[in-house]
Amino acid sequence: MIFIRNLKFCYTLNAEYSGDITHHNFSFMFSPHDTNRQRIENLNIEIADCPKLNITRDNFKNKRYYGLIDKPHNKFSIKVTGNALTGLDIYEEYTSEPVEYSLLKVQTSLTLPGLKLREYHNGMELDKLENDYEKALHIMHTIYYTFKYASGATVVHSSAEEALRLGMGVCQDYAHIMLSVLRMENIPCRYVVGMMLGEGASHAWAEVLCNGYWYGFDPTNNKLVNDEYIRVSAGRDSSDCSVIRGNFYGLANQRQKEIVSVEDISN
Amino acid sequence: MDGLIKHSKTINKLLSRYGVKFGIYKNGEFKEQLFPFDPIPRIIDYNEFSNLEKGLIQRVQVLNCFLADVYGKKQIIKDGVIPEEFIYSAKGFLPPCDGVFPQKGIYSHISGIDLVQAKDNNWYVLEDNLRVPSGASYPMIARELQRRSAPETFMEHRIIDNRNYADLLKEVMDYVNTGGINVILSPGRYNAAFFEHSYLAEKTGAVLTTGNDIVCENDKVFYIDYDGNKQRIGAVYRRISDEFLDPMTFNEESLIGIPHLFEAYKKGNVALLNAPGNGVADDKGIYYFVPKMIRYYLGEDSILQNAPTYLPYYKKDMKYVLDNFDNLVIKDVAEAGGYGVIFGSSLSKDKKADFIDLLKNEPRRFIAQEVIDFYDLDILDEKGERVPRKADLRAFVLTDGKTKVWPSGLTRFSRNPDSFIVNSSQGGGFKDTWVLSR
Repeated sequence: MIFIRNLKFCYTLNAEYSGDITHHNFSFMFSPHDTNRQRIENLNIEIADCPKLNITRDNFKNKRYYGLIDKPHNKFSIKVTGNALTGLDIYEEYTSEPVEYSLLKVQTSLTLPGLKLREYHNGMELDKLENDYEKALHIMHTIYYTFKYASGATVVHSSAEEALRLGMGVCQDYAHIMLSVLRMENIPCRYVVGMMLGEGASHAWAEVLCNGYWYGFDPTNNKLVNDEYIRVSAGRDSSDCSVIRGNFYGLANQRQKEIVSVEDISN
Repeated sequence: MDGLIKHSKTINKLLSRYGVKFGIYKNGEFKEQLFPFDPIPRIIDYNEFSNLEKGLIQRVQVLNCFLADVYGKKQIIKDGVIPEEFIYSAKGFLPPCDGVFPQKGIYSHISGIDLVQAKDNNWYVLEDNLRVPSGASYPMIARELQRRSAPETFMEHRIIDNRNYADLLKEVMDYVNTGGINVILSPGRYNAAFFEHSYLAEKTGAVLTTGNDIVCENDKVFYIDYDGNKQRIGAVYRRISDEFLDPMTFNEESLIGIPHLFEAYKKGNVALLNAPGNGVADDKGIYYFVPKMIRYYLGEDSILQNAPTYLPYYKKDMKYVLDNFDNLVIKDVAEAGGYGVIFGSSLSKDKKADFIDLLKNEPRRFIAQEVIDFYDLDILDEKGERVPRKADLRAFVLTDGKTKVWPSGLTRFSRNPDSFIVNSSQGGGFKDTWVLSR
């Protein structure tokens, strides 16, 4: 793999509470790692005021940081910085056993098709296409041209079917709809959280296993995932990749803000 | 036995005093109902029980093998014995449990196997319950009260003493305990089985807790007592379902779970009974494959029979189901507690057509079974007359180093003469179950 870009990234999450909270348990997942397509350097994760940080890996090999902050506080922040070296390869060879990805062929509660998605799928006439790569490409194009980007239309727990009925949504909904259609075709695919050059928030897309290779398809931008993308985590759907989970004691409202910056510093 | 019948009212009164109740949610309202006790016991003779025991041990051992395989090497899927779709689309298959090995490799410590006896005297397994099977406390306390009210009955008949359940349960907890106290984790007093949680805690010496007094710190789990002292917990007999167990791994909205408990378990610092993820093995769709599993893992024939079951997923079975629709009972694999059960003959013409459409669209969601001709048990009705009712038996099988069957069980009956559904959550009653020692 030849790396052609050096992407400097910075992810910050700031949460503010209207009053003091205690016994704050959290679990955080935004830790990019090396793949065949990217190399991560200088990774630094800072989590404010947590006496001891624990680490675990889930069954999709994503790394989670978690801990408990017991003393009263009204702020919580996380900062992840580092560099990602990326190259021109748009695929990653798949070598494990088929049974390892069987799980990724099954619909989840967020991708489960209803009437609308089934019609949508039928309308694509995918059986006329030759291989899984062609199908994925066609699905991506169709979603891009028929679904509208609009923030605030859907919520975090909206399913692919709900989003499609609305006809609009955000990158998460684009990805879920794509996964749902792919799974109706029995093509293994996964939800990916990542970052993209020049964006203000984290991004999401779909990875599809085509003829032994994983490709990233970004239906929000109608693009194949290339050297402008940094991959962070993957799962069956967005709920497997939720960046932060938390609960605490205290009567307080929470305001949370996420900022992502990715800058190309290659010479 | 007349002694027992004579004391039936007193025993029911005492049961209500001791709080032997069953909480039921209906139309969004919580109601506590007594769990009516019927004094006429189910009697199983020694030979019959020995055979049941062998079959139950075989079945639970294999279900444990299956769970270890599914969350481990997945050989049974690779060998094509069970279609992968059945495993991964089962609601109870929990990806976070993939590759996680419980203490001493045991997944189902406490298993509740539901059986019915047919008119041909054969026993059929209706359902395996490997998540949080409840019900052992009811025959335990009923037996205790009966022994008090009619001691002569228990002297005259050769009935195996069933008061050892708590000892068996404690042995299981101790066996997997990673160092520390045993606790029973209950969702609290509004749970349907809260009586049971408190009763089992009292009888096993485990501490009864709700999530509020447990904390998980740096992958170790502690109980905080009244004085604020922390005590290390080595085993959690949890009576809350997987999805609510840990909001950091499963349902984030859960208020009754313990944050990071799953990580402590994953790292081997605490035992969870039963292991999370067991739902994949007691899925109604997987049930069909249990006899095949027994053949696959043990090379033996299944000692206990399944009710004849069809999977509409297979074309051949779908045809059979459509041709014999009116004679079958159809079950939604995602439902439990007697819900989602449809008798083909009970549907009107329109409803039947709608249902068949649904079945064709989502074949994986349903199983169909032949209606078993139950061997009815007598109960006493309000007037004190003996009347026959449908009844099942939940056998409790405990696994530590060995797999053991409790020589008793929960016999539930339907109070409604036309109903086949005996679940306590639908208002049925229960009986004592006698196993004779010869």
